[in-house]
Amino acid sequence: MNFWLLLLPSLLAALLAFTIRPYRAFIGWTSAGLSLVSLGAALAFVAQALEGGPTPTWGFVLGPLHLPDVLRADSLSVLLMVCVAGVATPALFLSPGLWGHTRYTPTQLRRYQIFTNLFIAAMLLAVSANNVGIMWIAIEATTIFSAFVIPLKLNKASIEASWKYILISSVGIALAFVGTVLAYFDYVSRGGEMELALNWPVLKAAAPLLQPEVMQLAFVFLLIGYGTKVGIAPMHTWKPDAYGESPAPLGALMASPLFAVAMYAILRWKAVIDISLRSNFTNNLLFTLGLLSLIVAAFSVVQTTNYKRMLAYSSIEHTGLICFGFALGAPGLFAAMLHLINHTLAKSLMFFVVGDIEDHYNSALIKNVQGMAKLMPWSAGLFTVGLFTLIGLPPFAMFTSEYALFHAGFALHHPWLMGVALALLAIIFISFIKHLTQMLYGSPPQDTVNKTQKWGLAILGINIIILVILGITLPTPVRTLLDQIVAIVI
Amino acid sequence: MNDTLFAQLSTLGASLVLLFGIILLWRRSLMAYVRAFQQQSAVLAALFVVVGYFGQAPELYVVAVILFALKVILIPRLLHRMQNQVGIGYEATPYLNVASSVIVAGLLVLLAYVLTRPVVLTSTLPTRGGLPLAVGLIFVGLFVIITRKKALAQVVGFLVLENGIALLAVLGTFGIPLIVELGVFLDLLMGFLVMQVFIYHIQDTFESLDVDRLSELKY
Repeated sequence: MNFWLLLLPSLLAALLAFTIRPYRAFIGWTSAGLSLVSLGAALAFVAQALEGGPTPTWGFVLGPLHLPDVLRADSLSVLLMVCVAGVATPALFLSPGLWGHTRYTPTQLRRYQIFTNLFIAAMLLAVSANNVGIMWIAIEATTIFSAFVIPLKLNKASIEASWKYILISSVGIALAFVGTVLAYFDYVSRGGEMELALNWPVLKAAAPLLQPEVMQLAFVFLLIGYGTKVGIAPMHTWKPDAYGESPAPLGALMASPLFAVAMYAILRWKAVIDISLRSNFTNNLLFTLGLLSLIVAAFSVVQTTNYKRMLAYSSIEHTGLICFGFALGAPGLFAAMLHLINHTLAKSLMFFVVGDIEDHYNSALIKNVQGMAKLMPWSAGLFTVGLFTLIGLPPFAMFTSEYALFHAGFALHHPWLMGVALALLAIIFISFIKHLTQMLYGSPPQDTVNKTQKWGLAILGINIIILVILGITLPTPVRTLLDQIVAIVI
Repeated sequence: MNDTLFAQLSTLGASLVLLFGIILLWRRSLMAYVRAFQQQSAVLAALFVVVGYFGQAPELYVVAVILFALKVILIPRLLHRMQNQVGIGYEATPYLNVASSVIVAGLLVLLAYVLTRPVVLTSTLPTRGGLPLAVGLIFVGLFVIITRKKALAQVVGFLVLENGIALLAVLGTFGIPLIVELGVFLDLLMGFLVMQVFIYHIQDTFESLDVDRLSELKY
């Protein structure tokens, strides 16, 4: 029942936008309203997970399709559901076409509503699928749906960005499927063919019997594949382009929940493969790519001239940190999952604000955006808070999770790695502050266009409140949920 | 007796499928690309039937039929239509010339043999001989995507890569679970349609299908 409430609303919204043409404002409002139902269902799942008891599942048997538990909501899935639905709701409320003035035509808005909702549905399916094959299908579908929304305004830059995005992501995700097939091959060679062999709990239970050599190869493919989707360096090249060119709400959806979903896929596989390998193989790979991501991010942030691309580089930085966390055992995983929550809150906040800034200045270049503090004080304030969070200043939540992460790193005797990482974070810190002051002060250009305030941005106050609360204390429900996740994965 | 026949047939089929992939490296016209992909898919569909028969996996017949409809009939037809609309193209100057491309392809297949050694050694399947060839085809597909400049050639490279994965799945596991297989086909079709839309967009805005013109976005 709950699964229906989670998955159906966004599908319904897509259907509504598809059938009623031309686009009218009420369609946007309806789909925003429907997303609240999804969010409610996700929160209900959280409550259920916190209570303990059996893990909710759902399934069906239809002819040759024997799928008794195709959907499953353990604590890890539940957390991701909230991350997805929690960003989907503000994204749909702040969509173009709801607040009067818009740069887009009704046809473009119709396309936006259809594919954004399908995109959200695919992400929700990816995190509630029990079968890792279905998880793969849903993640691949996210690429397809989001590629339709990036070039809402057709021009050279947006087409270039979407072509790179769709080609690199499709190839990457295809490699993840090679990894999935190899793991399935391994399972089948041990235990004979089974329809349910790709179900995650079944795989995990069978993991000690699997051949380590094959699983090693499978993990390399899976990490490259889903890593492309996350944007782990060196597979990150599509990211600045796609984030830079997409409409702001889609940017928020791609930068926070989609990022989290792909990370989730890596974590699911890492859990199975670690049991099979009994070695540090996956951790060492994650350390290497994590460090590479931090290096790439640090040097790209320094020379960037576009504030949307700046956010993409920040996202590559946090990819690196989360990779480190995954590789640092139980305390590291705890910190990484907390960091994932914080990143979702902060990065989505940033993209919504950035959409407003871009509407005002009609430019995404840092040098064209001056005097923000004078011209749009509220958005400037939100932007500053989000940026302070992203660079890890207290009292905002990322300070806590980064502290926990580095604490775990030093405790597990990786002083050099952690030292280098801290130095790179310092570089990022300084260049972010530099870009920020450039945007806040100076004299605003004369020809800035529209002065309409989007009062809807006020809902981002919720993000800030949660970020501050998580920065000061760790509430018991969050701690319990994270502890449950660590217990599931390790 | 049956097992040896099965092993021989599957290795033969896998080699043919790989060979059609390598054709992409020495042909220049996009027409030839599409034809090679079509023939490769036909052999692949036949291989699904063979594995389904010898491996006693009747659901593979269903998969073979869908594969045939999709990759031998529908997608090549769409590719031809695209070519008629954007003009018959030649891959005039790939990033790497034919001779070096073929040598690289040979090395890639060799690499595939090295990488899949543990997989082949642990397996007792009669089809295991074809596994390195499947991984080799995946690498060749990747190589085509990286070195070709025409967007349409990249799409065919991607389709060939997908065929490599299908080959790996059918030889290694006698087919992945049906629900996953169906989902993969659906994704493939949708992904192809999206790429098709973008090829038209690229042609309209850039007046060319050369992807090295896509170089506006920096920093």
